Amino acid sequence: MAGGGDPKWQKDAADQNFDYMFKLLIIGNSSVGKTSFLFRYADDSFTSAFVSTVGIDFKVKTVFRHDKRVKLQIWDTAGQERYRTITTAYYRGAMGFILMYDVTNEESFNSVQDWVTQIKTYSWDNAQVILVGNKCDMEDQRVISFERGRQLADQLGVEFFETSAKENVNVKAVFERLVDIICDKMSESLDSDPTLVGAGQKGQRLTDQPQGTPNANCNC
Amino acid sequence: MDFQSHNNTSGNKFVCPSDRQLALRAKLRAGWSSSKTNEPLRPDEQAAIISVIRRNEEIETAERQRVGRLVERVEKIKQRAVEGGPNCCRLCGDTFGLLRSTRIICEDCKKSVCAKCSVDINIRYHTSDRTREIWLCRICSETREMWKKSGAWFFKGLPNYDAPSSTNSTPTHQSASGGAMSDVLLPPRGAQSCNNTPTRNVRVKKLTIHVDDSSSSEEDTNGGGGGGGDVVDGAISAVCAVAPLTTARTPNRNSFNADVSPPAATRMQREDSFRLRTFGSIRSFIDSGERKLSNSFFANRQSSRTESNQQDYDTISTASTVTSVNNRRESNCNYTRRSSVSSSWSISGESSSGNSANTSNHVPNHNQVNLHCRELLGWLEVAVSYRESVHSLDCVMVRARDLPAMDAAGLTDPYCKVNIVTPDGMTKYSRWLRTKTVHKTRNPEFNETLQFVGVEPEELGGSSLYVAIFDDDKYGHDYLGGAKISLSPVHNTNQYRISVPLGGEDRFSNEAEMSQEWPHGKILISLCYNTKRRALVVNVKQCINLIPMDNNGSSDPFVKLQLKPDSHKNKKYKTGVKWRTLNPIYREEFYFESSPHDLNKQTLYITVWDKDIGKSNDFLGSLVIGYNSKGERLQQWLDCIKLPDHFHEKWHCLSGEHPTH
Ligand SMILES: Nc1nc2c(ncn2[C@@H]2O[C@H](COP(=O)(O)OP(=O)(O)OP(=O)(O)O)[C@@H](O)[C@H]2O)c(=O)[nH]1
Ligand SMILES: [Mg+2]
Ligand SMILES: [Zn+2]
Ligand SMILES: [Zn+2]
Repeated sequence: MAGGGDPKWQKDAADQNFDYMFKLLIIGNSSVGKTSFLFRYADDSFTSAFVSTVGIDFKVKTVFRHDKRVKLQIWDTAGQERYRTITTAYYRGAMGFILMYDVTNEESFNSVQDWVTQIKTYSWDNAQVILVGNKCDMEDQRVISFERGRQLADQLGVEFFETSAKENVNVKAVFERLVDIICDKMSESLDSDPTLVGAGQKGQRLTDQPQGTPNANCNC
Repeated sequence: MDFQSHNNTSGNKFVCPSDRQLALRAKLRAGWSSSKTNEPLRPDEQAAIISVIRRNEEIETAERQRVGRLVERVEKIKQRAVEGGPNCCRLCGDTFGLLRSTRIICEDCKKSVCAKCSVDINIRYHTSDRTREIWLCRICSETREMWKKSGAWFFKGLPNYDAPSSTNSTPTHQSASGGAMSDVLLPPRGAQSCNNTPTRNVRVKKLTIHVDDSSSSEEDTNGGGGGGGDVVDGAISAVCAVAPLTTARTPNRNSFNADVSPPAATRMQREDSFRLRTFGSIRSFIDSGERKLSNSFFANRQSSRTESNQQDYDTISTASTVTSVNNRRESNCNYTRRSSVSSSWSISGESSSGNSANTSNHVPNHNQVNLHCRELLGWLEVAVSYRESVHSLDCVMVRARDLPAMDAAGLTDPYCKVNIVTPDGMTKYSRWLRTKTVHKTRNPEFNETLQFVGVEPEELGGSSLYVAIFDDDKYGHDYLGGAKISLSPVHNTNQYRISVPLGGEDRFSNEAEMSQEWPHGKILISLCYNTKRRALVVNVKQCINLIPMDNNGSSDPFVKLQLKPDSHKNKKYKTGVKWRTLNPIYREEFYFESSPHDLNKQTLYITVWDKDIGKSNDFLGSLVIGYNSKGERLQQWLDCIKLPDHFHEKWHCLSGEHPTH
């Protein structure tokens, strides 16, 4: 739960000088590295101590993209299930999701489908998703190959990155890509050729799985 | 609040495991469904979460103000527009002609503009790298910008915003002015996406927001909405649901907000914007023209069973038919032009006419209507217990909180309809159980036990309890909110008590709604305030399922209408008689002279009669619609005043009571 009194975020948070505001959410099992990933991006810091996130947290960062200033409010969610009711409440406001697993943890990879179901259940319809396999620096302990990750992403119809919060691999790239995808969606929705909207698009929307699991797990 | 009871006894305190333990656990079984943990949040955890929520509050407040400024910017341009008709530039008023400015037709609003007042933009083709040039008038290009910058493009409607303070001297609830404007003047989202959802998804040119329909598995989402403050709301709800607060207060937003920084006035206003999530579509910015609501009540109902949540999106489309609107400047009645987004008119809220002291109550409080289809519709507390010996599930509807207001005084007459949803997603009982109505409150204490018999113990696991709350009214029961509560935590012995946030419509709530019986049939009425003729136009379209009164199993229905009080002439009208039918179609129009101001105090009495030759006519049913109506009726009435020169059409239920007046 860092970041509270940190003057840096306050500066960023209060900054009203921007064109667009995107809300992003990082989700995935506990300990896959969501918080580390966000800290790396926002503060360029990393610690190997594990402090599991309590409920939710967020950081704010303003970036330039195609001569526009985009203010990102990036929500870090707790992976632990006991916070699920709180975290899912934030899905509704998110334009983009970073769905993370840990390449050294099979279980976290197997849970991806469940997270997808959560997104489908709680998020706004056209939210964009990127799948991220984190901790790619730990080659010796890797259990999920790059190929498996990529295949799953293909199946889900989303883009895929392997990253390391520790070694700062692809962290920035993931955020930039997500921002780009959202920007594309935005201009598609407003400045695109009308006759083609709705035709096959390479959007990052989750495609429906044929074996579509019924989402009876709404626990409200 | 006393819903602590559902949780553990003292021994079961959650102990924070060491980091290492957590890491291990994550390795082994990971976070997914390792445990059915429902440990309440510890005070320090709650504090942590609340502090995040507060930090977010600041951002949300700034966001609402920013969006308010964006909206105002477009409004200012709109206000300056001349709108002189098709032969001169919409913005500067220059006339077109051979030697004069060339006429450019704006892609979005299809109005004529001159070259000075328009911009050309390039739009991309998706399939190729080609682009196409289109022209937009300055209003529409600014609107597109605003749509992007506010996030409305994503949420398919403007998020809540606070009008800039300059125009906002009195942010009170009482009048439709100031900060509440945004909510008031945008086309109510309810009107677009609830019952009146046009059945054919009017997918339109240009700004159509593309909907991918991979939503087959989303049957029970909790209504639409998004962005902005609701997240906070939702989260707080969630915190409350998980953690019985130490403050021991009702689980509403206030328990958190009470001491958050902004001054009282803003808080009140913010409260509004939380409560009243109404959405405008970009359409309302571009096209202040036709907003005819579709009338196909039944088709709509059917489709809403299958695609209830998708409709939310589909209907928020953009300008379809762009009919040029009468030049509103010519009308000079009690309207003031507000910096309203929908460029519609708002009624000057003053009611100086010497009425009784409580006039203010009678001025329809726009803020408090239009409440359907927001995402947070209040709270419901239930207590469920199972008696295995008799296979009976006893469900106590304890209370509800913060239900949407349904009448101008901000009150509601709620009752619950309850059923069990089986694991295969069907309702178990064909008959829904219902509680009594608790009158005139948004915080009803039901305290009523509804008993379901024949519930096998093994059924509990996968089933849920479905509760839909409706507003009880003679002329139709409006949906207030619903919740699906999993029955798996219910065990034989103790009572399971839970407080849940209420969500929007879904197929179960529709089913509950359809299970209502309307023995007197329904009537389709279309209303329009015609500013040229200064009259309320009532189009009696049709009735269905009227009661048979004659020996032949049919009736000979006609409709009588009267607007009261009618200072002008006390006019009464009736339609022609349709012989031998229970489903007459009239499509007859009647004009009642009135001013929008007077309409705020008037009521339309509609009665349906069976024509009997030689003896007195039989009464078939009635509908009363006006300033003191509730729910959908009030909505239609206000829509008609707010957006004149447009027909507002709705189905209503007929009551068997003769209106006494
Ligand atoms: N080697 C390596 N370790 C990482 C990386 N990212 C995170 N970690 C470590 O993994 C552990 C968990 O990281 P967190 O970021 O706290 O995990 P989280 O996903 O936020 O977990 P919850 O908050 O419980 O949901 C910490 O000990 C981190 O130091 C990485 O890229 N490489
Ligand atoms: Mg974390
Ligand atoms: Zn001009
Ligand atoms: Zn235009």
